[in-house]
Amino acid sequence: MNILLVCAAGMSTSLLVQKMEESAEEKGITTRIWAVSMDEARANIGDANVVLIGPQVRYKLQQFREMADEKGVPIDVINPVDYGMVNGEKVLEFAINMKNQG
Amino acid sequence: MNRFTRFLEEKFMPTAARIGQQRHLQAIRDGIILTMPLTIIGSLFLILAFIPIPGYEGFMKGLFGSNWMDNMLSPVGVTFDLLALFVAFGVAYRLAERYKLDPLSVAAISVAGFFLVTPYKIPFVPEGADKAVEVSGIPLALTGSKGMFVAIIVAIIATEIYRYIVKKNIVFKMPDGVPPAVAKSFASLIPGFAVIVTLWVIRMVLQNTPFGTMHNIVGELLGKPLSHLGGSLAGALIAVIIAQMLWVTGIHGQALVWGIMSPVWLALTDENRLAYTAGEHIPNVVNSQFMDIFYSIGGSGTTLGLALIIFFRAQSKQMKQLGRLALAPGFFNINEPITFGMPMIMNPIMMIPFIGVPIVVVTLSYFAMDLGLVAKTAGVMVPWTTPAPIGGFLATGGKISGAVLQLFSVVLSAALYYPFFRIWDKQKLQEEGGISKKNGGVTKSA
Repeated sequence: MNILLVCAAGMSTSLLVQKMEESAEEKGITTRIWAVSMDEARANIGDANVVLIGPQVRYKLQQFREMADEKGVPIDVINPVDYGMVNGEKVLEFAINMKNQG
Repeated sequence: MNRFTRFLEEKFMPTAARIGQQRHLQAIRDGIILTMPLTIIGSLFLILAFIPIPGYEGFMKGLFGSNWMDNMLSPVGVTFDLLALFVAFGVAYRLAERYKLDPLSVAAISVAGFFLVTPYKIPFVPEGADKAVEVSGIPLALTGSKGMFVAIIVAIIATEIYRYIVKKNIVFKMPDGVPPAVAKSFASLIPGFAVIVTLWVIRMVLQNTPFGTMHNIVGELLGKPLSHLGGSLAGALIAVIIAQMLWVTGIHGQALVWGIMSPVWLALTDENRLAYTAGEHIPNVVNSQFMDIFYSIGGSGTTLGLALIIFFRAQSKQMKQLGRLALAPGFFNINEPITFGMPMIMNPIMMIPFIGVPIVVVTLSYFAMDLGLVAKTAGVMVPWTTPAPIGGFLATGGKISGAVLQLFSVVLSAALYYPFFRIWDKQKLQEEGGISKKNGGVTKSA
């Protein structure tokens, strides 16, 4: 499963990538998780099964949603508390649920 | 305080988000990002050219010959002196992408358009003469940061004209059997032609005005007033306050505010770079490096000091955990764990220092540099993730005073955050049961 994270510079979401990968490994799920900056989002969305955006760039959700809809990829904003506490496990579960529903 | 947070959430944030969503502003921001790696690479050579060690110059001269400095500065030139070209390309590319036009074609036309409104003349002083004559050539003075505003305007005009023509469907229709790539190259002809003709007319009209060129008119009407505003302490503080207030609503303040201010601040950075390489007095305190390196120590809100006190002084379980999460990224000026984990968002206690501390730090840093106690930034583009005090040392062109100012700001911000942090930490401790003061919160027995 491919999970794309997007934030302003792709820096703070990369913190989360690490934790999500750890959690995925524990669960025995094969994933590819990567973080990019806002301007790189368009080029990366096509490779993803799920797109998650950082809460600090949620004002751009509409624009990202248009890009994601084109590729038929589900997209949502990461819960701010999970984001702040870098809770990889919860965010991974969230992504898996999104994929199953989408 | 309640009314204030409601104002932030209901009025301020939606307005700012709408401005940030504005497609031209967004294209400017995303387009200018293209120049960042280039100027950082150029800056590396800038640092190497002026390493502040006694005898360094003589040593390099002995090693590489007397023109070593020119050689060392040539990578600086091809990055900084061509800034406007990259901007003309990048902004048009991003805007065209948004409009679902062929971004590469639009970006190419935009660069051509930029040259079309740029005079192909450079002043040259022939040997033995004392007055400069004009010879033809590409004026590097206008393709650098000085031409940035023109580049932005041209990129937007070019993309909008292009889009208009495509929307009106005035394109060559190719018969079946023509390879798609060929058809595509022809498809860009009419819109591209319209762009060139429009800018060509603008060029000729301006030639007959006292301004002469688009560069002069844009510089007078846009560049100068914006630099005065953005380069002043008041301008810097307004930007900081708006950015911090946005962060309080959970929105990336810098991504929005910096997107608007970065053309102005980059131009000011480059003025400093030119003065620095020429060995002249450095003019601007406020510029992009000042804002990145001396305000965002630990992340927006100058939170490195706070990350340290959370790490070392937290009592509550939640803050202890946050301290472990926030410290390492904080050294690299990333503080989302603090903004979302503490959180700063809509937090009536922590938002006071979160907005207040940066105001104090920026004001003090401004006066420290303005009064000459600390060296001004030398136009060296340091990545914003560079840890303090290294960032301050490099950005000022290798001056210890830059590093000292950063360390001072960390200590000062820690002291200012501390009383608010204590209140918040206590509150968390009470929420956790309040009885776990001694054994670190192990209240649940198995």
